[in-house]
Amino acid sequence: MATTLTGVSLSTTVVAKADSARIQPLRSSCLNHPWKLNHVKVGRMSVRTMVAPDSLSEKVSQSIEEAKETCADDPVSGECAAAWDEVEEVSAAANDARRKKKEADSDPLEVYCKDNPETDECRTYDD
Amino acid sequence: MAICTVYTSHSLNSTCSIPTPTKTYLGFNQKQVIFFTTSKRSNRRGSSYSTEISCAAEKTVVIGLAADSGCGKSTFMRRLTSVFGGAAEPPKGGNPDSNTLISDTTTVICLDDYHSLDRTGRKVNKVTALDPKANDFDLMYEQVKALKEGIAVQKPIYNHVSGLLDPPELIKPPKILVIEGLHPMYDARVRELLDFSIYLDISNEVKFAWKIQRDMAERGHSLESIKASIEARKPDFDAYIDPQKQYADAVIEVLPTTLIPDDNEGKVLRVRLIMKEGVKYFNPVYLFDEGSTISWIPCGRKLTCSYPGIKFNYGPDAYYDNEVSVLEMDGQFDRLDELIYVESHLSNISTKFYGEVTQQMLKHADFPGSNNGTGLFQTIVGLKIRDLYEQLIASRTGAPLEASKVK
Repeated sequence: MATTLTGVSLSTTVVAKADSARIQPLRSSCLNHPWKLNHVKVGRMSVRTMVAPDSLSEKVSQSIEEAKETCADDPVSGECAAAWDEVEEVSAAANDARRKKKEADSDPLEVYCKDNPETDECRTYDD
Repeated sequence: MAICTVYTSHSLNSTCSIPTPTKTYLGFNQKQVIFFTTSKRSNRRGSSYSTEISCAAEKTVVIGLAADSGCGKSTFMRRLTSVFGGAAEPPKGGNPDSNTLISDTTTVICLDDYHSLDRTGRKVNKVTALDPKANDFDLMYEQVKALKEGIAVQKPIYNHVSGLLDPPELIKPPKILVIEGLHPMYDARVRELLDFSIYLDISNEVKFAWKIQRDMAERGHSLESIKASIEARKPDFDAYIDPQKQYADAVIEVLPTTLIPDDNEGKVLRVRLIMKEGVKYFNPVYLFDEGSTISWIPCGRKLTCSYPGIKFNYGPDAYYDNEVSVLEMDGQFDRLDELIYVESHLSNISTKFYGEVTQQMLKHADFPGSNNGTGLFQTIVGLKIRDLYEQLIASRTGAPLEASKVK
């Protein structure tokens, strides 16, 4: 009994904390797709928190395996095309996430100056 | 995302017909305000509720950009927004996986947001994202039309990470709206709304080379998987994406070089800028003499180029049933003086000062394609769009058209 109670109180705290920190209605789809939580959770201002590219990488290799399997039966089916289309989509997303992560890891001023080299704060002086 | 502010904008400006929000996100007000005022750079946290929507004050100019996934649309967008000044950024405080980019003048929306089937839905229905059946053209048309008329919309967000449709985000009518994606010219109604359209036509050889560059480092990918993906998508690509290029006002074709015999590395590129004749406010770029057929090798006594050199071609041509001018560049630049030398021989490039093309290219030297025709022609098309925009606005306000033209 005591253990159960501890468990209950613990989960209540978590829920309360989550409630205050993020958007309230979590769509049911989020619950079915846990990877979505990674980015919904951290809705803090302009800090862009990315899904770890690792999980997307996994998704890439997983979808490639699936596409190979799907196409083994019928290489010209709509199913096969859809499977490889998913590979393209997640590969593009993984590449995008890598690029964003690289930007997030680097100096924000450098990222800004790359696009706005003419502004005062981006000037460099030789002497 | 900015659903709370919809109430604000709605009450402030009753002439806007904004869809009634279906959900209220309480406890998020502060963030909403920040998101909503991103167009004003100086606004910071805690600022007042100064929501302003410029309804129908000035009609939005709409540009369409079509290309396959992974074919350089985002690089093009960065060059284009740079020509207009200021960098484009994702909406602040919104969904971190939003596909939208916003700068002072320009909003770029990704048409993947109009997917009617999410990743699972496409799998179940056995269709690719290229298939019109996976896209909601009615909604696309309604929303682009609304934005063009100065009305804000709640646009869905397709999340490329999760493969799901996320809650919508508020898009306010910008001065320039770019719709980029697989199908900007597919639906006749949407096509009708475009003031200018561009198609990036990447040949299969180059597409393969680019995707190797993008994906080879990724676990699970191999030359075979990259090839298989391109080939499996090709029937739908040929059926639904490729035909759109006949409607484009400008096509940028990217091909393997012909300067190196049997080259299939895809490193040196031959790029062709195909420009439709007779498009209002768009005067095609030319080399030396408008309407003549010119072949030009800038390398020689005045300019030393390294192997395989640079070659330009220019001339009138036919593309589908249209009369066009084609400017072609094969090879790549080694140094800046090559570019300024080339720029000085091109006419009608709509620059505001001598060397603007070179300056833009230098500014983004780290972008892909900055040393070849893709970067050069993307930059030139950006300048042409700026010119078109200025002429369109001038024509609406009744000011003389010639004022905005320098060259």
